[in-house]
Amino acid sequence: MERLLAIWVEALCEEAPDGSTLRDYSALLDALTILCPFTEPVRLGLLALPVRGPSRFFGGEEAVLAAVAQTVRDVTGHEPSLGVADGLFCAEVAARRGLVIVPGATEQFRRSLSLKVLGRKDVATTCQRLGLHTVGSFADLEPARVAERFNKHALALHRVARGESPELGGQRDLKLVKRLRQLRGENGVGEEQMGFFGQRGAGDDRAEAAAHRVRRRLGADAVVVASLRGGRVPEDRATLVPWGSPPSGARDSAPWPGQLRAPSPATTLAHPVAVQLRDGGDHQIVMGSRGFLSETPGVLLFSNQMRRDVVWHAGPWPLMERWWSLDRRRAHLQVLLATGEALLLTAESSRWWLVGIYD
Amino acid sequence: MEIGPLADVTESRYSYERMFAFSPHRPILPADLVATLRPVTFAKSRMLPLGEPWGALVPGGGLRRGSTVVVQAPPGLGGLSLALSLLTESSARGHWAAVVGVDDPGVVAIADLGVDLRRVLFVPRPRGAWAESAADLLDGVDLLIVRPPSRASLGTARRLMDRVRERGTVLIVLAESGAPWPLPADLSFDVTQSQWATSSRLDARYLTVRVAGRGEAARGGEHVVVLPNRRGRCEAG
Repeated sequence: MERLLAIWVEALCEEAPDGSTLRDYSALLDALTILCPFTEPVRLGLLALPVRGPSRFFGGEEAVLAAVAQTVRDVTGHEPSLGVADGLFCAEVAARRGLVIVPGATEQFRRSLSLKVLGRKDVATTCQRLGLHTVGSFADLEPARVAERFNKHALALHRVARGESPELGGQRDLKLVKRLRQLRGENGVGEEQMGFFGQRGAGDDRAEAAAHRVRRRLGADAVVVASLRGGRVPEDRATLVPWGSPPSGARDSAPWPGQLRAPSPATTLAHPVAVQLRDGGDHQIVMGSRGFLSETPGVLLFSNQMRRDVVWHAGPWPLMERWWSLDRRRAHLQVLLATGEALLLTAESSRWWLVGIYD
Repeated sequence: MEIGPLADVTESRYSYERMFAFSPHRPILPADLVATLRPVTFAKSRMLPLGEPWGALVPGGGLRRGSTVVVQAPPGLGGLSLALSLLTESSARGHWAAVVGVDDPGVVAIADLGVDLRRVLFVPRPRGAWAESAADLLDGVDLLIVRPPSRASLGTARRLMDRVRERGTVLIVLAESGAPWPLPADLSFDVTQSQWATSSRLDARYLTVRVAGRGEAARGGEHVVVLPNRRGRCEAG
């Protein structure tokens, strides 16, 4: 479970009728994103960020806590309550009490909590009658016994209590991200993507009218516009959004070491197609943990039994991004087929996928 | 100043002299105003510019407004890149383009070629209505790339090309070798050969392209272009 720093700002959890709470929250999120780009808005009054990366950068968790506390004070003028623990559930409880749980002690901390913190009165009351007062004693019940007595919501609580699930179902405000985006759209330069084009000429108006006609014919998502954002591989760098939707804030400005260089495939599949890569003797080729291929590629099989000979390949170039949280490992491979087509493949979760065609 | 399709109209039918040629009440206007009413289009403004290396290889050095261009290549051998490379110079000069029927455009490759993404509309999956969507877009953009999902019928092709001529857009049809465009085009690019240069990765692709057309474009020839090169751009081979 990921070690998280939770930031609890009591003054920002109740929404003010003038919308100032959301604006302050948004400003705080922007400021904290500068400290740690993976800061997440959880719900009003609560934010979380993975503490491991920043603590290495700032020189220890103490320094991160100090920097975050100072940022909250500067931006909102309120005193935050900070807590560090593994998983969002424990991190929030720790933050409300202002505790930093030392690494490895989260289990003990969680087990010692009162059942009330799980937030379901019915479960807490029933368990109390059964003589279970702490999260730990609840966790010791067999899942099957819990399922017999309670409903599926209680089973989800039980998973949290056992430490199998990092957060409670209702802990996140799922609409918050969307609301923040709307807020930014209103405050930004232009609400629509179209407003971003600098000066508007007659050509822009004509194009807009044409796009409207196609949308009326085919539906709202039929016309899309493209932009680039940061990333290492073509499929991550491309953004295609329906025409007229608010612009994405991310811009391609930072350097990306290890970026797959030009030329890039002229066709980048939005939904990669599963393929099979085999050697001359028709054995499956796998990518080892050290980033080497088990054999030299000889044949590429598409799902529809189409077989093509591979005459050349380059790579694989392994890519491990945010390995501490996502655990996503990919490797890219360029292959040249006997027919002359060049393709970009990736290996992910021990399968091969076609992601691009150099068309 | 961008003149647009109105300019053609001004030139042929509605110039000030002709408008009142047979009228006894010819209004007297200041000379400087009359000057602005004179034909304002020149052959050049009816051409859309082509970037390197196409400017030197295509007769006239550009794409004539109202013309239809057919790009034909075996599947996967550079047809899409070639069609997109025809947009670069116009796009950089502020013209709008649209791409219909290219399901999964490689946005990074398109940007690398030099196309300004802010002025490109994509209609990735027009389903059965590709010709209708194309016709809708003709009024709004200066260049239109269309990849018909199936073989276009003669009637559809004719209607679309008539509309293109009328609106002064440039239609670029991306056809696979198996499903050719049913009507002769004003200009055609045929990829006959494609060869990758490789090192520790894919470096550059050498395309042999036969450029041919009608009228002044008839004397075409075979050219080798690098598309894409190491920077993802197009250059002379």
